[in-house]
Amino acid sequence: MLSACGDGRSSAEKFAEAGILVIGNNAEPQSLDPHKATAVADGKIISTLLEGLVRPDAQEEGRVHPGMAASWEHNADASEWVFHLREAVWSDGKPVRAQDFVYAYKRLLHPEFAGRYAEMLYPLKGAEAYNKGRAGWEEVGVHALDARTLRLTLNGPTPHLLQLVLHYTWSPLPEHRVEACGGMLDRSSRWTHPGNWVGNGAYVYSGHRFNDYLSVSPNARYWRAGAVRNRGIRFLPIVNGYTETRMYMGGKLHITNNVPPEMLARVCEVVPQHFCQDPYYCTIFYRLNTTRPPLDDARVRQALSLAIDRETLVAKVVRGAGKPTGVFTPPGAGYAAEPPAFMQAGSRAEREEAARRLLAEAGYAGGKGFPVLELMTTSRDVQRVMAETIQAMWKEVLGVHVEIRSCEWTAYKSAQQSMQYDISSSSWSGDYLDASTFVELWRSGGGNNCTGWGSPECDAAIQAARVCGDAAERKTHLRRAESIMLEAQPIIPLYTSERTYLKHPGISGWYPLMLDNHPLDAVQLPMPDKP
Amino acid sequence: MIRLLFRRLAQGLLVVFVLETITFFLVRLLPGNPFLGDRKLPEHIMAQLNNLYGLDQPAWVQYLNYWKGMLLHGDFGPSLVREGVQVSTIISQAFPVSLEVGVVGMLIAVCVGIPAGMLAAWYRNRWPDALLMLPAMAGICIPAFVTAPVFGLVLGSHVPGLSVAGWDNPLCVVLPALTLGLINAAYIARLTRGGMVEVLAQDFVRTARAKGCGPARLLYVHAMRSGLLPAVSYLGPAFAALITGSFVVETCFQVPGMGLHFVNATTDRDYFLIQGLVFCYGSLIVAANLVVDLVLVALNPRLRSQGTA
Repeated sequence: MLSACGDGRSSAEKFAEAGILVIGNNAEPQSLDPHKATAVADGKIISTLLEGLVRPDAQEEGRVHPGMAASWEHNADASEWVFHLREAVWSDGKPVRAQDFVYAYKRLLHPEFAGRYAEMLYPLKGAEAYNKGRAGWEEVGVHALDARTLRLTLNGPTPHLLQLVLHYTWSPLPEHRVEACGGMLDRSSRWTHPGNWVGNGAYVYSGHRFNDYLSVSPNARYWRAGAVRNRGIRFLPIVNGYTETRMYMGGKLHITNNVPPEMLARVCEVVPQHFCQDPYYCTIFYRLNTTRPPLDDARVRQALSLAIDRETLVAKVVRGAGKPTGVFTPPGAGYAAEPPAFMQAGSRAEREEAARRLLAEAGYAGGKGFPVLELMTTSRDVQRVMAETIQAMWKEVLGVHVEIRSCEWTAYKSAQQSMQYDISSSSWSGDYLDASTFVELWRSGGGNNCTGWGSPECDAAIQAARVCGDAAERKTHLRRAESIMLEAQPIIPLYTSERTYLKHPGISGWYPLMLDNHPLDAVQLPMPDKP
Repeated sequence: MIRLLFRRLAQGLLVVFVLETITFFLVRLLPGNPFLGDRKLPEHIMAQLNNLYGLDQPAWVQYLNYWKGMLLHGDFGPSLVREGVQVSTIISQAFPVSLEVGVVGMLIAVCVGIPAGMLAAWYRNRWPDALLMLPAMAGICIPAFVTAPVFGLVLGSHVPGLSVAGWDNPLCVVLPALTLGLINAAYIARLTRGGMVEVLAQDFVRTARAKGCGPARLLYVHAMRSGLLPAVSYLGPAFAALITGSFVVETCFQVPGMGLHFVNATTDRDYFLIQGLVFCYGSLIVAANLVVDLVLVALNPRLRSQGTA
């Protein structure tokens, strides 16, 4: 399959011989500093360089293993956790201490540091107040009891804390190195540059050229160094899915990031044994600006939602790379949301009839008098085609017309976040495997709500989940909050996304994971074919 | 000649200054800012970031600070998206790559375009003319986003040594340079043909022919100097454009050059990186045009007297 070059071997084969995994990573990383990075591409690299209290299982969704913490215990309602750190060292030989965790959390939350992902630590008691300059650091629930014991005090019961701390924002930082390179608050610090880098993960940072590659090599001082199953990773920041797929076919990569929908049929025909389609903890949906008429009327929003044939959308637009959904949180981690009552009408024809009825009740029978709304999308092909398909469905079923506005990414995000839109294509992927990462979005006035919708009942259910120590009861509160939101339909859920990518069939240690947080140290390369 | 050189240099500096000034204010009029991400930043974090990089100050204060940094420290400033990385570091990594692709591409363009144009002019309105100008017209009409993947698939996958995309061996330069080179070769061939046709119809050529001058001497000694003037005028800006990278070609072949940064910096609103890239591009255009002016003066003595006057 792989085309040869030079001496007859493809570069993927040469790297495989050297034990180096070459993987498509979607975009050029913004930063390797876990307190500046926010992109998924950055997180994948950082997770190989820094290890937090626990580490994910390579195969089983949601299962964690001891990382820097060898063991842990919590009080009865899981609002206070004590982690006992193992004897581990940074890549420069200095010991990893509980104080390095405290230092890291203080840096991310420091009111003068402007950590973009500081919200990830808000479950810590006093963290939000400290971050907003309304409380001192001593009030934040992070304490190093000694060099190897870390106590985290949380705002309330947090039985899912181990899922939260898997995220790279909960990693420790080498205090000695950060201080030597400018100090805690220096945003231009060069501690993450090659030559300065110090980490405690399975790999150390070894090379980088912008828009070309970023490479990591094994950390000989990593506490599980003997268990690392490859001799390095080369991340290629290939934004264009067509280029990436061609490069895979041309023997340049072992694993790609994604296959564009237009190439799925061809790829399945040519290299079916290389093609993978995994569930992804991500939902594609449309936001509706509920502050603008006629979208301030729930019946209009419900009608628009009912008129969309999600099955057709998934089959024709994304070519099967997803599952139609009427809910927001993808199923997983023991949580399954229920579609709202109005969505439970039986056949397609019945749903369309219900949509027309709702629109008529709102005063727009047959679409008469309905203003021309604007549907905003990014300039990505798949989003544009999806918008055109939905535009046609609304026209056909409801007789309403929407104009499509395709924006470049920053203009799109700016308009969405400042609510300068009518309808906006959107997606949301979970930071951790728990329904709260989706449901909490819909708090009244929440930063990422961006629909103008809010409900005291929904807020109350979310708050009840926050203070609930019982895992099952907590899920019931979250499910109730999501049901309230879905009934009001400030968003139109379309489908849960699935990752489509190519992987060399000889690779082992790589299993489908919804968060796409594969521990890459577990990945073993294919043995090259004998000449 | 020296006066011409200094006059052009002074004009060039003014052009770069005006270009930087217009760019500075235009990018700040675009919607959004460098700190927008997938998730909305809390307002207090956004305010801190704006404050850290001085973006909360009036535009004219930012503008003065920018020139202060440039003139006193020769510094474009930090990237606002890749925090901790200087704009100069990004440009110094990307420029040699684009330069390599651009130089090879320009060599291909000149070596293919000029002979093709001269031959087509010599055989004007006969079958070799059509045979050469048809692909030249196709080269102008077919955009790079079509030719680049086709070259990648057809040549990259089947010719040993060539690469579909990526930048991991020395031969990776071939296909991006070929794509850019052939597109420019098409323009150069058309311009050369036009210039040569005009010159070949002039009296001094007819006189040379009447005196028994052979075709090779007629073309290369008598006609070429004047016939190439339109193509030489085109070469300056084309060369500057080639060595500052092409977004389409760099995306299709995953080339880590300037073109990718140019587009990404604009869509990401990385203000300082945009300024740095525009400065480089503007300076190169000015330098290339200056060289072209000098070459034109050397080729055409009439311009020499106009230039010094």
